[in-house]
Amino acid sequence: MGTSIEDDQLAPRAERAGRPWLVTGIAILLGIAAIAAIAEGVWLSVRPGQVGPGSLETLLGSGILAALLAALAHGMWMLRNWARVSVLLLLGAGLLYLLVTTLFDVSARVFAGESVVPLGGIVEVLVAGLARLSAMGAVPGLIMWGLIRYGAAFEESPAQRAFVDRGVRRLLFATALSAIIIVFLIIVFTMTQAWQSIAEIGPQAMLLGTVWRPGAVIGAQSGQFGLLPMIYGSVLCTFGAIVLGVPLSVGTAILLAEVAPPFIREIVRPAIELLAGIPSVVYGLFGMVVLAPLIRRIQVPYNSGFGLLNASIILAVMIIPTITNIAEDAIRAVPRGYKEGALALGATHWQTIYRVILPGARSGIVAAVILGIGRALGETMAMIMVIGNSIAIPTPLTSNPLTLFLSSARTLTGNIAVEINYAAGVHRSALFFTGVLLFLMILLVNSLARFLMRERS
Amino acid sequence: MIPRLGEMRLELGVAQEAKASLGRRKFAQKLAFALLWLAGLLAVALLLWIVGYVVLQGVRVVNLGFLTTRPAGGVSGEGGMSTTIVTTLYLVLLTVSIAAPLGIGAAVYLVEYAGEAQRSSRPTAALIAVARAGVEILAGVPSIIFGLFGFALFVSFMKLKFSLLSAGLSGACLILPVIIRTSEEALLAVPRSYREGSLALGATKWHTTVQVVLPAATPGIITGIVLSIGRVVAETAVFWVTLGGSYRLPTNLLSSGRSMALHVYMLASETRAFDKAMGAAAVLIVIIVVLNLIINYTSRRLAARSMGR
Repeated sequence: MGTSIEDDQLAPRAERAGRPWLVTGIAILLGIAAIAAIAEGVWLSVRPGQVGPGSLETLLGSGILAALLAALAHGMWMLRNWARVSVLLLLGAGLLYLLVTTLFDVSARVFAGESVVPLGGIVEVLVAGLARLSAMGAVPGLIMWGLIRYGAAFEESPAQRAFVDRGVRRLLFATALSAIIIVFLIIVFTMTQAWQSIAEIGPQAMLLGTVWRPGAVIGAQSGQFGLLPMIYGSVLCTFGAIVLGVPLSVGTAILLAEVAPPFIREIVRPAIELLAGIPSVVYGLFGMVVLAPLIRRIQVPYNSGFGLLNASIILAVMIIPTITNIAEDAIRAVPRGYKEGALALGATHWQTIYRVILPGARSGIVAAVILGIGRALGETMAMIMVIGNSIAIPTPLTSNPLTLFLSSARTLTGNIAVEINYAAGVHRSALFFTGVLLFLMILLVNSLARFLMRERS
Repeated sequence: MIPRLGEMRLELGVAQEAKASLGRRKFAQKLAFALLWLAGLLAVALLLWIVGYVVLQGVRVVNLGFLTTRPAGGVSGEGGMSTTIVTTLYLVLLTVSIAAPLGIGAAVYLVEYAGEAQRSSRPTAALIAVARAGVEILAGVPSIIFGLFGFALFVSFMKLKFSLLSAGLSGACLILPVIIRTSEEALLAVPRSYREGSLALGATKWHTTVQVVLPAATPGIITGIVLSIGRVVAETAVFWVTLGGSYRLPTNLLSSGRSMALHVYMLASETRAFDKAMGAAAVLIVIIVVLNLIINYTSRRLAARSMGR
């Protein structure tokens, strides 16, 4: 914005420039538009063959439009700031629309074919797009520039200023509520969609049922929608991920917070943060291409390489950043005096860490692990890529109970993702029930973690 | 004399024991620290293994032709990834332009206006507390739930079908808490004196916010937006259930499309063209690394600036 506070407020009215010709022009244009709108409305409604119930609405519509335009024209003529802002907003929206459509148009032409190369055509399309943009955007752009340039000429009374201030406050309050409104909408929509299955099958049958067979919805026979296999799948691979991931991440957190020299931390911490940003499909792909063949080497019948072990390893890597970051912060938050006191009593550094610092950071570390559990429960795409997606309750493949982890399974998240795109009727509703269940589990886990973290501070 | 001898013996014993115990304790420390280093090394090694493997395998198929040819579609797995790159770009623009105004507005309210409003009336205070809780809850919601929600509201209820718009709206819900939180932090970091100076000059609250506070918080807000761009680029589950997955380029907001991450998933699980999937994944990783570098750079500069103040 070119207008500074001083221009707007402090310059005496007499020193301000008179009405710039540009503003006069805009006001006249708006006035003409208003007259044109009312004229068109009158013409359309009195035209022969157009007399009917529709004509009155046409007249009313163009009357309102003309009134608005006339009000804007009057506001511009009288140098009112609200008129300036309205015209700016309208033109801005128009320009944005033009920009977006041109962008779509250009990229549609560039990328529509099989291939972009040879590059000869691109320049042509780009030039054409730019030409269109500058041809259609020139006049509105010029007007906007002028309005911003001559912003000081417009006046705004203190009452208007207060009005804007109040309006903005309300608007911002509305945006502040957006998050809770989305949470509310999520609950309403998943619940209403899940309602059919709750009514027809019953929550108990779904929660405790051991058979998931949605395909049987043929004729009168209804499918079976037991979620227990997926609950087992989710819980088992989260458990596996915690067993593998927690020692690694808490160890790394202690290392970074207490043991390692600062330059190591400077390198390792961004690396761990990078781990958090990598798309889950990349982890899934890695699990499919690298881990599955490795796991398949374990000589057990029916071991496909895809299953709980694969999923647990991938999940363990995925929760490392969450746990490490929060646990490290918790360890750093332990007061320095604790550590110094222990060291002064003759304890070694490790004894201090183990007996003083870790107990002090306990609730924070537990919260970190719980948040890791939440993250693991919610992971979807990587899971459906590596877990095998069988709908049976996972069982050990041989008499050795550890081979349970070689068995294929399916998570609650995976259940939704695998079937939602083609499900209909009760089946779809049951998938939404899966979502409700997942949502409640995660809500519980996260609020537990939040409670622990609040207790600490 | 005898007690004194006993005392001496006792002292000797304590000293010996202390010496032995010190040795034991030092050994325990060495062992423990070795394990800690092992854990750290393992974590970093896993990262290097995964990223390194995918990138090294991926660059074999990435060339100009791969980047500029569109996928062939179907189960063949042939073709490149040009349309998926453009679709991802569309999604980023769409989600950010929906979520950024909402998120920044929410953060501005929660930081600049909420305190005053809380004191003024009790219902408002309760509503603000609920709004804050909403941000917290939304931040913890897993992405597949956002997908389900988008599927129920935008795809089915609002009849937008599997489209860019459905996916963009669902994605905006996903990144909204990220933008609110980072913007809040950025606004909180702006010194009080800036606001007081501006208000003392007679500017209104809104003027102060727009012309003084927001410009000072811009780098932090941009960091948040870059972070959420990373989330959108990496996101798959939401777009899997809202975007449709067509390999063609979306021609308008209501046409279906396929993002890069979705392309990786579909190649890997539906076509078994693992080499192409690796190529697309490598491109994804490069983008994420670049975004992370940007974030690190800006936040380091921010830290340096606030130190210098």
